[in-house]
Amino acid sequence: MTPPAPTDQATPTTTRRRARLTAALRWTTGRLVGALVVLWAVATLIFFAIRLVPGDPAEAILGGPGSQASDEAIALVREQYGLDQPLLVQYLAQLGRLATGDLGTSYSLRTGVAGLLLDQLPGTLLLAVASLVVAWAIALGTAWWATLGGRVAAAVSSTLEIIASAVPHFWLASVLVLVLSTQLGLLPPVSTGTPAGLVLPVVTLAVPVAGFLGQVTRDSLLDAAAAPFAVSARARGESRSGLFRRHLLRHAALPGLALSGWAFGSLLSGAVVVESVFARPGLGRTLLGAVTLRDIPLVTGVALVSALAYVVVVALGDLAERAVDPRERAT
Amino acid sequence: MSPRLLPSRALTTAALAAAAVLALTACTSGGAPDADATPVEGGTLTYATGDAEPTCLDPHVGGNYPQALVATQYAESLVSTDSDGAIIPWLATEWQVADDGLSWTFTLRDDVSFTDGTPFDAAAVAANVAHVQDPATLSSTGYLALAKVTGVEAVDEHTARFDLSAPDSALLESLSQPWLAMESPEALGRSQEENCESPVGTGPFVVDEWTKQQQITFTRNDDYVSPPADAGHEGPAHLESVVWRFIPDSAARYAALQAGQVDVIDNAQPDTLVAAASDDQLTEIDAPRPGASNRLELNSGKAPFDDERVREAFIRGVDVDDAVDSLFFGTAERSYSPLSSVEPLAYGDPSLFEVDADAAGDLLDEAGWSQRDSEGYRTKDGTRLSLTFPVSTNQSIPAEQSLFEQIQAGAKTLGFEVVLQPLDLSSWYGALASDDYDLVSAPYTKVGPDVLRILFDSSGITPAPSGYFANHAQLSDPALDDLLQRATETTDPDERADLYEQAQQVVLDSYTVLPLYDQQNHYLVRSSVTGVRALPPVSAVTLYDASRTD
Repeated sequence: MTPPAPTDQATPTTTRRRARLTAALRWTTGRLVGALVVLWAVATLIFFAIRLVPGDPAEAILGGPGSQASDEAIALVREQYGLDQPLLVQYLAQLGRLATGDLGTSYSLRTGVAGLLLDQLPGTLLLAVASLVVAWAIALGTAWWATLGGRVAAAVSSTLEIIASAVPHFWLASVLVLVLSTQLGLLPPVSTGTPAGLVLPVVTLAVPVAGFLGQVTRDSLLDAAAAPFAVSARARGESRSGLFRRHLLRHAALPGLALSGWAFGSLLSGAVVVESVFARPGLGRTLLGAVTLRDIPLVTGVALVSALAYVVVVALGDLAERAVDPRERAT
Repeated sequence: MSPRLLPSRALTTAALAAAAVLALTACTSGGAPDADATPVEGGTLTYATGDAEPTCLDPHVGGNYPQALVATQYAESLVSTDSDGAIIPWLATEWQVADDGLSWTFTLRDDVSFTDGTPFDAAAVAANVAHVQDPATLSSTGYLALAKVTGVEAVDEHTARFDLSAPDSALLESLSQPWLAMESPEALGRSQEENCESPVGTGPFVVDEWTKQQQITFTRNDDYVSPPADAGHEGPAHLESVVWRFIPDSAARYAALQAGQVDVIDNAQPDTLVAAASDDQLTEIDAPRPGASNRLELNSGKAPFDDERVREAFIRGVDVDDAVDSLFFGTAERSYSPLSSVEPLAYGDPSLFEVDADAAGDLLDEAGWSQRDSEGYRTKDGTRLSLTFPVSTNQSIPAEQSLFEQIQAGAKTLGFEVVLQPLDLSSWYGALASDDYDLVSAPYTKVGPDVLRILFDSSGITPAPSGYFANHAQLSDPALDDLLQRATETTDPDERADLYEQAQQVVLDSYTVLPLYDQQNHYLVRSSVTGVRALPPVSAVTLYDASRTD
């Protein structure tokens, strides 16, 4: 008896594995191309949008309010920063630089944009990620209470969620400072770099997002709770909180996870207000100053980094969805 | 004839010391019961600024108020001014102007060094002027102030001669500004990027570290010897270090002050000032900025304000007093002068601004704006009496923006339509450059009445290539130009004062300017700190005399 000759014939298992690998590869490539398109679109939009608004960056570079620049200085700035070139030339030059990974030099701060962003990114990421975590905690907390606490709890929590999702950041920040800092003296009103200084900015950012996440999570949670599998799980002797943790959450979290990318984007834009109010260094404040001064390279840099972060978070959200929901993996 | 000798150091020191003591007591009288006690040495003061974070700490580069605030802590000028606006010695001890007004000779202190060890001497002065005048420095404010200076000659080690292309009666006032502060030539020789981060002066503090968007830390200059003639003490500063925080939000700044997280704040807003007045932990320093008053300017270069009757009708028909009073809670005093009240030569005439709505209506009828459209606005030949008013949201505080809305409402009853356009800084510059305004409010900080030349000389109508120009009233009056020119050239203080008074009369009579109030500049200080004061030239805070009492 001779052993069967090895063949190129793949077993069913490897075929499936290869198919899954191809699918994953296609998914990744699609994501990468999508990301590049998003980044290019952002760079282009920002470049032209900032030029459409009247005003001369050269004037702002030279000091802004209360100072008056000489003709020579203006001419020199124009030349030095390439502002005397035709718009299309400026656009292509910038695109070329960006393609090679060069974010350029900030008009106003006169240093490399990449370095400035690297300095400011961690602060904003910490703020956004901490806020997202806190927002999820609040959302799940209220959803859990709404499902298990009866009709009154459901009504109260849904009212709270609507209010929370409608609250503007600057108002919430003022109220939190007034109550927790000025009246009670519990927390510092402006950021200090200590964990205590992070509390108010994080809560300010997290509450409106928690309102949104809470609403969608609660709805699907209630749907799932009414589904036959929930009844049969209870019939098998599953406790109420066990049902919540092991069965309902998986269903309920899906729409929320899909929204997390959006939530992260809203946190980044909320950072503009929150970082200014609490005097925290970060990308939001960098962006505010850069827009005011028509600092095109810096605005572009912040926008690109935010877009990139957004793309990454959306991709992570997709991955999380796939992990939570086996149906997603079938395709 | 010998050169004219201006007040020498010996003459001024005694008088100024007395004046300084008075000024200081006045400043700190509110919440400093132990002002007479010996100041405590050491400690850290935290200052919170609401001004924009500078993009460069060297005030030669660009040149705006946030830079002036920071520069005042670490750098010093050749001269300063006292609380009456008189020029007093600082890094220069005395000075003489030549008979022809074309050169000024400064005698410098011979005991001063920059904090990097470089000696302060005539060569350093020459290097600083050259640095400001070098186009690559991108100086705007300082460059303009030195417009007539052709160069600086080091006559000997401690004598510097400024050569001028034309007489300049404003030279000393210009040199008192922080935008022309002296920096170490050694440090200026580094790259601009480096000098922006860590500039080196002769001041009471040294720039230690600048954490962007967060703070600047200053440490005491232990070898400091050169306070201005009106300072409260001699030798190094009392404080060991200063933390200079950037807190852009007004409410957050005040909350941080109340919580004791910071000791001094600037840009305190009217509502905050009222709240602080009843807090015995807090003292206010009201230090208006010099130069022009905050004012509305009426664009006389185009219709409808090219008709003087329409301008007069607007100015005499709209009541501003009540609005200023209610929106600023009495913290801002109404001005009737184109100049700030801290300018000794400011001249005002309240009689020109007495409100008479009936007379204003008659003037408009006379000017042909006698019809009314369906919305109640006046019309002439089918055209509505409409005024475009771009508002810089970066420069006008919320109370001022509310004031403009009140003016809009007041003007409506007269039949004017005022179209308010809130704009960010660059768009606002753009609107002015394209002559797309009838009303505008533009602050201008400068030491001395020479600001009138910048704001109202007819040459200021021609925009620079950037589009920027300062004569927003578009006032073109040869007689006024002549007055301003003669005021710039005279070396006789009395004649100068007289010429500037005449010039201000002409400006006010033209009904192109509606003065509102001084450029507001309020500091709030916790009672745990004494000796904080605003340094007169541009009312920037100085922490040299400050000390902690806790």
